[in-house]
Amino acid sequence: MPGTVHVVDDDASFRIAIERRLKMAGYAVATYPSSQQLLDRLPDENGPGCILLDVRIPDMSGPDLQDRLSKLGSTLPIVFLSGYGDVATTVRTIKAGAEDFLTKPVSSEQLLHAIELAIARHEASRGRKQKLDALRSLLDTLTPRERQVFGWVVQGKINKQIARELGATERTIKAHRQRVMEKMKVRSLAELVSIAERLGILAEGASGQG
Amino acid sequence: MVQSALIVMNVRILILFVCVLALLAPAELSAADLPPRSILYFNQSDLRGPFYYQIFSALRSEVSADSGAHLTLYVEDLDLSRFKGEAYESGLRDFLIDKYRDKSIGVIVAVGGAALERVLKWRTELWPNIPIVFAMVEKSDFDRLKPPPDVTGSIVRLRLADAIETAHAVVPHLKSIVLVGGAWERQVVFGNWKQEIQTAAAGLDVIDIAGLSMAETLERVAVLPADSAIIYSATYADGERDFSPPFMALSLIAEKANRPIVVAAETFLAPGGIGGYVLLPDVIGNEAARLALRMLDGTSPADIPARMSEAVQPVFNWRQMQRWGVSESSLPPGSQVRFRDPTFWETYRWQSIAIAAVILIQAALISILLHEHKKRNDAEKEARGRMTELAHANRQVTAGELSSSIAHELNQPLGAILTNAETAELILQSPAPDLVELKEILADIRRDDQRASHVLERLRGFLKRAPFEVRDLDLNEVMREAFGLLAVQASARNVALYLQPAAGDLRVKGDPVQLQQVILNLVVNSMEAMSTIPYGRTVIGRTELNGGSAAIISISDSGPGIPPEKLADVFDPFFTTKTQGMGIGLSIARTIVQAHRGRIWAENQAEGGAVFRLSMPLALH
Repeated sequence: MPGTVHVVDDDASFRIAIERRLKMAGYAVATYPSSQQLLDRLPDENGPGCILLDVRIPDMSGPDLQDRLSKLGSTLPIVFLSGYGDVATTVRTIKAGAEDFLTKPVSSEQLLHAIELAIARHEASRGRKQKLDALRSLLDTLTPRERQVFGWVVQGKINKQIARELGATERTIKAHRQRVMEKMKVRSLAELVSIAERLGILAEGASGQG
Repeated sequence: MVQSALIVMNVRILILFVCVLALLAPAELSAADLPPRSILYFNQSDLRGPFYYQIFSALRSEVSADSGAHLTLYVEDLDLSRFKGEAYESGLRDFLIDKYRDKSIGVIVAVGGAALERVLKWRTELWPNIPIVFAMVEKSDFDRLKPPPDVTGSIVRLRLADAIETAHAVVPHLKSIVLVGGAWERQVVFGNWKQEIQTAAAGLDVIDIAGLSMAETLERVAVLPADSAIIYSATYADGERDFSPPFMALSLIAEKANRPIVVAAETFLAPGGIGGYVLLPDVIGNEAARLALRMLDGTSPADIPARMSEAVQPVFNWRQMQRWGVSESSLPPGSQVRFRDPTFWETYRWQSIAIAAVILIQAALISILLHEHKKRNDAEKEARGRMTELAHANRQVTAGELSSSIAHELNQPLGAILTNAETAELILQSPAPDLVELKEILADIRRDDQRASHVLERLRGFLKRAPFEVRDLDLNEVMREAFGLLAVQASARNVALYLQPAAGDLRVKGDPVQLQQVILNLVVNSMEAMSTIPYGRTVIGRTELNGGSAAIISISDSGPGIPPEKLADVFDPFFTTKTQGMGIGLSIARTIVQAHRGRIWAENQAEGGAVFRLSMPLALH
C-alpha cells in the first residue's frame, strides 16, 4: 500500500537517489538533512508511513532519535541505513527497537521490501492506536460515578456488591451499568472487559478506582 | 873435611847467581829478538799541506790505536819539492847522522819516491839492517830504484791515461787537454806523466802550459777553448812564488779557469777540482802504518813483498759537477761523490719532520672530523628514513582504525549510484521514458563515481610513503577533514566529538597528510583513554592564535587524565598503558610536530581529563 517515507540522510546525493526511486515505486517522500529537522517538522500521522534513517547522522544518533520520537508520541517505525555494518552499532539499534537494519549500497528490492513491512506494521499499529484513541474518548464521556461502576464491573463484581461498596442501591447501580454499556457501545460484559484490558483499566482496578 | 863444605857452598852460590841472572834477564833477552819500538818517518814534502799532513795523521792514529807497548815517532820533512841539489842533500845526510847517532830505530817509513831514493842512498851509513816501509811510490820509481828485499811498501800508479779518461767523462766531446802544473822535471809525483803524453793523449790536442809562471798560467786558463779539460798535476813554486801547499795554487787557478779541472789528489777537490782518479792520503797513511807495525812485531820485510796500493780511487766534487753540468751517470763505475750540498731535507731535517708531523696530524684530525661529520649525516639520514618508515606504519595502523569511516565514505556514493541505476532501468522500461530525468540520473551517477574515486585517492595519499611535502595550509581545514574522518569512529565508540575552530584562517606551512596524522593520533588516543568511562565521553578539538606568530591546536578529553609524573613521558616511543598497541602514535606525533618546527605537550585539565596541545609557527607573508 502507499504511504509516506521520511528520508533522513546528510548525504544529498543519496537522499535524491532514494527519493527518485521511492517516488517511482509510488510512495510519497519527504526528505530531511538531519534528525533535528525531522523533529522540527514532525509529521502528523494521518496516513501510514515510516522513517528511513542513516545511522551516522552527526547531530543525533539513531537510538536517540527513537527515544525522542516515542516521547513525542510518534509511532513511525524506523528503518536504519548504514554505510558500514559494525556489530556494536547494529546490536544497539536493534535492541533499541529498530524496525530493520540495511547497509549501503542497498538494492531497491531489499529497500522496498523493508519499507513495505515497516509501513504495514505502522498501519497496523496506527489502526490499533486509532481504536484505542476512540475508546479513550468514549471513556471520557463517562461520569465519575459511571467510571467507578465500570471499574468494579470489569472486575466481576455483581451489582449487590458494587452497591454496598459505593453506598448506593442495587437498582441505581444497575442503571449506571446500563448507561456504561451504552456509552461504551458494547453489548456484552466480555466486550467491556476486553476494552478495559486494552485501556489498561484492569490492571489498575485492583489498587484504586477511577 | 872443611874443603868439601867450602866447594859445596861455592857451587850453591854459583847456582844462586845463575838463577838470579836468569830471573833478571828475560826482558832484555826477548827485547833483543824484536826491533826497537820506534819509527823514523821520512816525508818527501813537508807537513804544512793537507795532503802530506793527512798521510802522517792517518799513520799516527793507526799506530796509537795499536795496543802494543809505547812507540816513539821521529818525523823528518825532507821538503824535496822546494829544496834540491847535492849540497842540500849532503847537508841533510850529515845532519841526520848526528841527530840519530844514539837512537835505536825499529823501522823506517819513507813517503814518496823521492824520500825512498834518499833513504836507500843513506841507508848503509845510517841505518843498516833496519827494515824500510815505503808509501806512495810511483811504479816507475819503484822499478827504477829496485829496492832490496828488506824493503817493502805500497806502490801507487797515477797514470795520465786515467786522468784523460776522467776528462772524457766530464767533457762529453773532449777535443783537447790542457796540462797545468809545475815544470815536469821538478814534479816529484807526476814526473812520469811527461813520458805518457804521447800514448795517452792520442787523438787529442795537447796544450802544455805546465811550468809557466802563475801569472801567465792564470791568463791562459781563462781563455781555454770549448770541449777542453784541464789536467792538473801540482804546483809547488812557479819561480816567483812558493805555493806549498799546492792546493793554494789550485785555488787561484780554479778561480780563473773557464774549463773543468781534473785532479789526482783527494785534497785537490775542495779548492775547485772536479775530480778524477785521486790519491787518498788516509789510505796511504793507513797502509804504511800497518806494515810498519808488523815490522815492529817481528815480521821480516822479506816475507811481505811490495804490492799495489788501494789508495787511488775515482772521487768527484759534486759542486763542480753541478757547475759543469756533469751527471753522476757519466762518471766511471764505483766513483764516490763528495761535497754534495745537503738537500733541504738534510739541512732542515728536524724542522721538516716537525712540520710534516704537524701537517699530518692536522690532516688526520681534519679527515677524522670530516669522517665523523659524514657519519653523523648518514646517521641523521638513516634516522629520518626510519622515522618515515615508522610514520608510514603508524599511518597504516591509523588507516586501519579509520576503515569504518572510509567504508562509510565509499558506500555513500556507491549506494546512490546503485539506486539511481535501478531507477534509470525502470524509467527505460516505461512506454514513454522521461529523458530529462534520465539525464539527471546519469549526471548524478557520474558525480558519485568521481566522489568515490576521490575518497580512494585521499586514502592512497594518506597511506603512501610520501616524503615530507611542504605546502601552504589552513589549520582549520586540516582539523575539519581530520574530524570528519573521525566522526564514524567517535559514533562507534559512543564519543561526542566537537570541533571549535578559530575565527579566521590559520595559515601554516607543512605537510597536510602528516599533520592530519598527528590530529588523528591524538584524537584516537583520547578516545581510547576514555574507554573505561561508561558515559559522558567527549573529545573537543580547538584551534586558536597565540600572539601573532603561532597557532595552537588543543585536543581535550573527559577521560581520567595523565599521571602528573608521566606528562612528559607519554611522548616517548613505546610508552603505552594499553594492552594492545605499540605506543608509537604519540612519539610519531611529536616527531612530526618538531619537523614542523612546533612544540607538543600534554596537560591535565582542572575540570578533569587531559588536553594535548601543539603549537606551530604561522606562515608569514
